[in-house]
Amino acid sequence: MSLQKVEFVETPGNIVRKCPGTKHHICCGYQTIDLVEGCVLSCSYCILKAYLRDDTIRISCKPEAIIAELDGMIDHRTDHILRFGTGELSDSLAIDRRYNLNRFLVDYFGHKRKAILELKSKWADFSHLLPHLNPYTVISFSVSPQRFIDAEETRTSPIHKRLKAARLAQDSGCFVGLHFDPVVIYDGFERDYRYLIADIGRMLDPARILWISLGTLRFPPALYDLLLQRRRRYLLSGEFIRGEDGKYRYIKTERIRIYRMLHRLLKDIDPGLFIYLCMERADVWKEALGIDLKDSEGLIGLFDERVKNLYGGTL
Amino acid sequence: MTNVPLARIDLKDRRFSLSYPPDDEDLRWSIATVGIVQPVILLDRTPRIPVAGWRRLRCARELRLREVPAIIVDLDEKTALLRAIHDNLARGFNIIEKAAAVQAMDRFGFSREEIFGLMARLGLSPHEKVLSTFLRIASLDARSRDFIFRKNLSLRNVESFLRFEGKERRRILAALTGLRVTESTLREILEMLELIRIRKGRLTGRDIPVMESSDILRAHLKQKTHPILSSLAKKLKAIRSAMALPPGLDIRVDPFLEKEYIDIIVKIGSEDDVEAALGKVSELVAAGHIRRILELTKGRIR
Repeated sequence: MSLQKVEFVETPGNIVRKCPGTKHHICCGYQTIDLVEGCVLSCSYCILKAYLRDDTIRISCKPEAIIAELDGMIDHRTDHILRFGTGELSDSLAIDRRYNLNRFLVDYFGHKRKAILELKSKWADFSHLLPHLNPYTVISFSVSPQRFIDAEETRTSPIHKRLKAARLAQDSGCFVGLHFDPVVIYDGFERDYRYLIADIGRMLDPARILWISLGTLRFPPALYDLLLQRRRRYLLSGEFIRGEDGKYRYIKTERIRIYRMLHRLLKDIDPGLFIYLCMERADVWKEALGIDLKDSEGLIGLFDERVKNLYGGTL
Repeated sequence: MTNVPLARIDLKDRRFSLSYPPDDEDLRWSIATVGIVQPVILLDRTPRIPVAGWRRLRCARELRLREVPAIIVDLDEKTALLRAIHDNLARGFNIIEKAAAVQAMDRFGFSREEIFGLMARLGLSPHEKVLSTFLRIASLDARSRDFIFRKNLSLRNVESFLRFEGKERRRILAALTGLRVTESTLREILEMLELIRIRKGRLTGRDIPVMESSDILRAHLKQKTHPILSSLAKKLKAIRSAMALPPGLDIRVDPFLEKEYIDIIVKIGSEDDVEAALGKVSELVAAGHIRRILELTKGRIR
């Protein structure tokens, strides 16, 4: 699938880390397991292009050490339900069939039953994991209109395959997650998202969607330069400002408009869906979703409640 | 050293010429006053080919000197070019001269390692991408090169400028050459022009009008690339004007209207000043001005 170089490396320090989040924004308290750094899918807007020194895929998979780290964190954390993911510096599934990196994590979380593992991807094949899945693994897909995927996510699975894979995960007894991230403004994007959400409503069981995130396009200045150089028309159609964290993002009034639209369309499918904003300001939460959050702790509390409701207090 | 008649030097042969700009008023005055102090270097061919001292020779021709002091060298072309580069290295190269030196090395068949070696000496990152940028600078038309030199463009702005097509570059030159523009303003203007070009597919003359100042041009472009922000800024300006803030009281709003809060700055010299400021702030609240500003910062108004 890719000619990118793959290296197995020894990473100094911890592999399991707190998601860095971003200044002045509400963060969800996610924990990342950075098994892989770099991605074969190479989406045009990917921030890894700006952060990583080259396109080599670096794998640092030492199961015993990672399990020891996870044990340390999960056993000592009693105030919140921890959520972990391997899709921060890479795609969770894109090279997993070949290297089988997530299997030990799926087994670990299944036995531990105290925290959640999220495998977040744009790659619709997880059949190698199917016999091992358990309710403590959440299969998640980034979702975008096919028109956008064709333009900017050219190496990824088409949207209908992602949604079919999500349905397969639900039918196998897993909860799934959906990530509308990045949501991108381009001519006709509203209509495309309406169709996309209608497809989601038709193909998935809303009762088994654990969470849905919404996040509009944002990127560091270094990536902005790359997008200009590469003339990414889809990605540069909206109106950008520099946020307090230095990143480019759409002007606030546009972000609110988009979140309101997506929130309404999703709630029309099922009012019980748990929808959160990724890296947004408190006032945007209030204006777009009508939720008053003071800080990240407030959002983490909402996640706890959601997980407890769906897992029936077993976590 | 020997004196060589100008008539025996091929002044049209510029293969080793690196100097930019070609005119140098101070040098001309100096040569007119005391003559050529430093001999030029000429290649031992018939006619003689200038290796170093191009500007001195140009002045000599303009001043109608009959001969110039020179050192004649018998070198192959590559060595002669190195001589020309090293002869000028001590005085420092500007961006156009760096481009000319790198291009000449490339033209004369020097290896990448040799070219990268010079680039590092000239303070350039020895990478293929930078080399490609400098080769492009060297092959630009005279007007574009002069613009880069006169405006002292940073490499980043040069790269941005080079991303435009020839016709678009000419339009940009027409709009910017006569303006006083800082590096950061220029960067902003070029970025906005790139955005317009990407969104529309091409830049037309109407996209880059000739305006009185760089600030007016910047504001004009901002309206095109950031219509919502421009409209909100206009609304904020109207509110500010209606508030009629007294000296010593200021309201600061994030220019991108991203921060949900605003800063009210009060300068006080006495307790009376505090009371006056608080009174004014209460008036502003009662009149709804503060609420209107907060509606802008909270994204409630488009």
